[in-house]
Amino acid sequence: MQLTINGQSHQVEIEPDTPLLWVLRDTLGLTGTKYGCGLAQCGACTVLIDGQATRACVTPIESVAGTEIVTIEAITGDAEGRRVVEAWVDHQVPQCGYCQSGQVMAATALLKQTPQPTEEDIAAAMINLCRCGTYNAIASAVRQAAKV
Amino acid sequence: MKRLGLFVAVVAVVGAGSAWFAIYVPRSPFDGEARPAPGPLERGEYVARLSDCVACHTTERGKPFAGGLAMGTPLGAIYTTNITPDKQTGIGNYTLADFDNAVRRGVRADGARLYPAMPHPSYAKMSDDDIRALYDYVMNHVQPVSQPNRPADIAWPLNMRWPLAFWNAAFTEPGTYQAKMAGDDLWNRGAYLVQGPGHCGSCHTPRGLAIQEVALDERDPRYLSGALLDGWYAPSLRNDHNTGLGRWTEDDIVTYLKDGRNQHGVVFGSMMEAFNNSTQYMSDTDLKGIARYLKSLPGDRTRDGEPWQYQPVAAAAPRSAGQAIYASQCATCHGADGRGRAEWIAPLAGASSLLAPDPASAINITLNGAGRVVADGVTDAYRMPSLRSKLSDQQIAEVLTYVRATWGNHAAPVTEQAVKALRAHTDPASPDPIILQMR
Amino acid sequence: MNDMSPIKASQNSDRETGLLNLSRRRFLGVSAGALVLGVALPSGAGRALAQAAAPAIEAGTRVNAYIEIRPDSSVLFRSAFIEGGQGIFTAMAQIVGEELDVDPARFVVEAAPPGPDYLLIGGFRFTGGSMSVRMSYEKMRKLGASARLMVLQAAAARMNVPVSELTTEPGRVLHAASGRALSYGELAQQAAALAVPADAPLRAKSDFRWIGKPLARLDVRDKSTGKAQYAIDLRVDGMLHAAVQHARHLGAEPQAITNEAQVLAMPGVHSVHRLPGAVGVVADSWWRARRAAESLQVTWTAAAQGTKGAMPEDYSTERHRDGLKAMTGDGLEAEVSGDATKALAGAKTVIEATYDAPHLAHAQLEPPSALARWNEDGTLELWAPNQAPEMFQAAAAKVAGIDPSKVIIHSPLLGGFFGRHFLYASANPFPQAILLSKAVGKPIKLVWSREEEFLRDALRPMAVARFRAGLDEKGMPVALSAVAVGEGATGRWFGRQPDKVDSSAVEGIVEKLYAIPNRRVGHIHVDDPAVIGFWRSVGHSMNDFFYETFFDEMADAGKQDPYELRHRLLSESPRQQTLLEAVADLSGGWRRGPYQADDGTRRARGVAMASPFGSEVATIAEVSLRGEEAVVHQVWVAVDPGSIVNPAIVEAQINSAVAIGLSIALMEEVVYEEGVPRARNYDGYPILPPDRMPKVHVRIIESGAPMGGIGEPGVPGVPPAVVNALAVLTGKRVRSLPLSRASLTGSI
Repeated sequence: MQLTINGQSHQVEIEPDTPLLWVLRDTLGLTGTKYGCGLAQCGACTVLIDGQATRACVTPIESVAGTEIVTIEAITGDAEGRRVVEAWVDHQVPQCGYCQSGQVMAATALLKQTPQPTEEDIAAAMINLCRCGTYNAIASAVRQAAKV
Repeated sequence: MKRLGLFVAVVAVVGAGSAWFAIYVPRSPFDGEARPAPGPLERGEYVARLSDCVACHTTERGKPFAGGLAMGTPLGAIYTTNITPDKQTGIGNYTLADFDNAVRRGVRADGARLYPAMPHPSYAKMSDDDIRALYDYVMNHVQPVSQPNRPADIAWPLNMRWPLAFWNAAFTEPGTYQAKMAGDDLWNRGAYLVQGPGHCGSCHTPRGLAIQEVALDERDPRYLSGALLDGWYAPSLRNDHNTGLGRWTEDDIVTYLKDGRNQHGVVFGSMMEAFNNSTQYMSDTDLKGIARYLKSLPGDRTRDGEPWQYQPVAAAAPRSAGQAIYASQCATCHGADGRGRAEWIAPLAGASSLLAPDPASAINITLNGAGRVVADGVTDAYRMPSLRSKLSDQQIAEVLTYVRATWGNHAAPVTEQAVKALRAHTDPASPDPIILQMR
Repeated sequence: MNDMSPIKASQNSDRETGLLNLSRRRFLGVSAGALVLGVALPSGAGRALAQAAAPAIEAGTRVNAYIEIRPDSSVLFRSAFIEGGQGIFTAMAQIVGEELDVDPARFVVEAAPPGPDYLLIGGFRFTGGSMSVRMSYEKMRKLGASARLMVLQAAAARMNVPVSELTTEPGRVLHAASGRALSYGELAQQAAALAVPADAPLRAKSDFRWIGKPLARLDVRDKSTGKAQYAIDLRVDGMLHAAVQHARHLGAEPQAITNEAQVLAMPGVHSVHRLPGAVGVVADSWWRARRAAESLQVTWTAAAQGTKGAMPEDYSTERHRDGLKAMTGDGLEAEVSGDATKALAGAKTVIEATYDAPHLAHAQLEPPSALARWNEDGTLELWAPNQAPEMFQAAAAKVAGIDPSKVIIHSPLLGGFFGRHFLYASANPFPQAILLSKAVGKPIKLVWSREEEFLRDALRPMAVARFRAGLDEKGMPVALSAVAVGEGATGRWFGRQPDKVDSSAVEGIVEKLYAIPNRRVGHIHVDDPAVIGFWRSVGHSMNDFFYETFFDEMADAGKQDPYELRHRLLSESPRQQTLLEAVADLSGGWRRGPYQADDGTRRARGVAMASPFGSEVATIAEVSLRGEEAVVHQVWVAVDPGSIVNPAIVEAQINSAVAIGLSIALMEEVVYEEGVPRARNYDGYPILPPDRMPKVHVRIIESGAPMGGIGEPGVPGVPPAVVNALAVLTGKRVRSLPLSRASLTGSI
């Protein structure tokens, strides 16, 4: 199976129902994308598929052949991604940090689709869980990143 | 706990009648036949798989066929029985004729009538050969287990079984399946499996006032036309475009029953149990027969409504509450386009459970998530989570109303009351794979 | 790992209570100077430590064990404490950098290996109890100052001038007279060879540039770009992956596997293993291992009668709660003042109420994992999330059957901990990883799926408290009797003495500062059938809810405003009274409500005080109802930890504490039925989602009192503040958490 991840082409031979998450983490060694629940509950595994925030733990690899997959490892190669990361640093968002790859990817996807998000847009897009409760910092950082 | 309809109605069919009729032991073709010598395990085990005996006669972590599964009825729970060959607590003393009477006629060796939770009106169609093989399997290959049967929680006088004899007389058809000239061998094999051991009608055929299945074969257009049972709406298995198998090919049906999934959907609810324990074990030929037979059942455009066709969501559509919930809770798996992900995650666009008039299945799986599909010994990669603690009744009603009215789906809205009612008497699906052991 | 006997009390247990004093406020007052903790370590660890401690190394003094100045003058610092989001690495850099005179931003901090140099918590080492900064602050300053002096001495030798003529600026030594300068990096090697000076001068507090300032955290950029590595992310050459399926009931053992051959034939599967209380699969990727492990059809033996710690197959949390509530009697005396019995008898009004709180899961987002590798030299290398490296080292040695000195422990970043990564027999995956690695002869990375984690997490104990209060004719409380029922985590893991009260079971009910003249607090011990553990703010996480909510019941019964009554009863406790005023001020002045907000919602406020982990906290929550759901709009927290190192981190920790405190108030509970937890993932065990996060306002007060903790103290005040506000809106008292179980209709 041919996959395009962070602009690079990869050939993987694996069961077609394998979640993208584990191809990223175990087959390709891209461990920035995190395993949290495996059930699309937490969002720690969020990646971009054709620019859309997608939870890699519930994404069968067969369904993403031919798409453009972007993970946190390539985030600073993306204009919106860079803005988001800088906002994350400015607002000192992460605590334990485990969910933050997914949070950054979700914010990046939001800004790609909605460059000027309303508060409702932010609330609708930023739904990943954070056990450390960095939610207020996340919302502030997204607001900053949205200001060009 | 499984629920089986309204036994209360059973009482209604009780008229005056002779006590003899109510307790007599019917004749069996095997009367007087000596206990046969043990046959090959595989033969009888296969019939047991076709008939899915294990689904009711084995509990999640109980011994094979020792019974004890609670089945809810409005009158109180009844418990399935020990059908192991244990002589004291099981059916070790049953002759082949006794066994036959229980399976095909719903009559115990002592003459008492079985509750129609036992699908004997379907099993009545099973062939003598299959009954003999099943008897061999149960008597010679199942390990005896000493486990006393648990009496039903139904109080007197409703616990009296003799009225059931009249129920049997009214609602069962005597005689085994007889091949029909109109169909080829494959069709006839399929018809036999569907009507007889497979007892598909138990869930998929509507029931009448006395909870009898309103039809037992294809002569009646209501046969397998979809029914509500146990909090799940078992969809039509006829060629209904929207709510049935109209858009499925024979191969789609075979794949579904063999792998538990195809591009139209994934088994869930009661069908997941039927798949885990029964259909996946059927031979390819038998599955083809089932598919051939089901595809021969005409749909009913009047009942089924305007044929579904995929319609993309208009980009400028105003965002409803249901759409917002869908975007946050559902879209990551089922897709913003409702098309699911290949065969692994079910599409919602065009799904029969979402086009069905009754939203029970959609509500149930949203509240409680899906149990685990175990195909060929391997546990599924993806399962539907339970949303009951995340979404309120109103939110579930909103999101299901959206899903049932989007991508060309055109089913009625879901009410908050319907969600509330189902929430009250269902529990989340077990996240553990449940394998009912037959050995 | 099925050895579920509690860690034996060692010879160290003769202190004070014999218990690990993780949290009591009294702690600092009694024993800060002596750094004495009545901590009881496993005998194995005790031995290992004793061996290690043989050369009489004084922890926290040997500069080279902590500080490595690199050629570019940056500093590699080995922290005795593990970073799990609380910001300890940054705090260490600030404290040490301040005295060393190196910008904290130039620090690279990593967790130190096991060793006597790092036993900073009363001769032991763990990251928890909100102790890291307060227990090491002076030592780390001294360490930084000593290191600076060594650099100065090296420079003096190099420049051939007396030390007294030298000064430093960040990363450089200057000789003003000659205008010469040397970077720290140039001097590092020479400095490291010097003896640690005994009397390095400390910087005056007034000259602090970094301590007390909201410095940026060191790990934020890596954590925002996916570069931070947690245990679950690690990989070594030749490594295989493993997953397990645990027995549903702890104590059961695997018997038959009916489909082993079929599972062995699954793609990528290397081998199937029987482990104590579990079966494991080794494969070439975790996903393949996990699917195979989940697909194993295993029959389990029932736990043998009397197996210690075995989960009863009929365990039901609901029944256990009923059992706790049904316990009668006054229990062991935990605290007494005056004569509560007599005062109650003579009181004008007596009120009573029984409260309960459920089991909680840690639900940290990183599932537990462990990577084990046996090296050719006979050592075992272990990467495992942990809050106590030496304890894990000793336990790993026991599992591996080797000497602790042969176990090399790495302590990666923690993807959240909240008490999850202490040594709890049966709740840590590393013993399985060790056994699997030994069995297959290759390095093994074992990850517990989220479902296995919810099955084996060590839970916050379930607890009940019964209160009786007596009020005089003016409505003032004159007597309070409280009986806490349940089991404390400290007693479970560090040995319980039947005649002594486990402080972790009563903290938050004892040592309250309200001037109620007659008080008695008792404790009735009841074994908790679950594996229990430390959960963020430990006993305070439920006991402050019990006490502070009952306090409002007393206020209502006496027709007093709950804020005013607190204020009045704290008149002899100026530190707390000031704090209460501060939180009221922060919230724009105390108003209980109900009142209508600008958005049309009907809101009310509740207040609560807590004194956890050496800090003082006052909390106000603003709540409204939406249907049956409590909506918390804002939370104001005033916190007095005495003095602080980084206000930005303090504020972040308070935000975090509010989130988790609100989460347990609103929705968290572990429910067992038939000995099995009903929820095995976040769908059944919801944690606070973003749309329920309130605005949080923090005011930090540095009273100058001895330094207190920060990671946990923000938690306990949140549930009572929320529930007290709700009572104003509904006219009903909720005495059982979480609120999702309560009916919140019927407003007055």
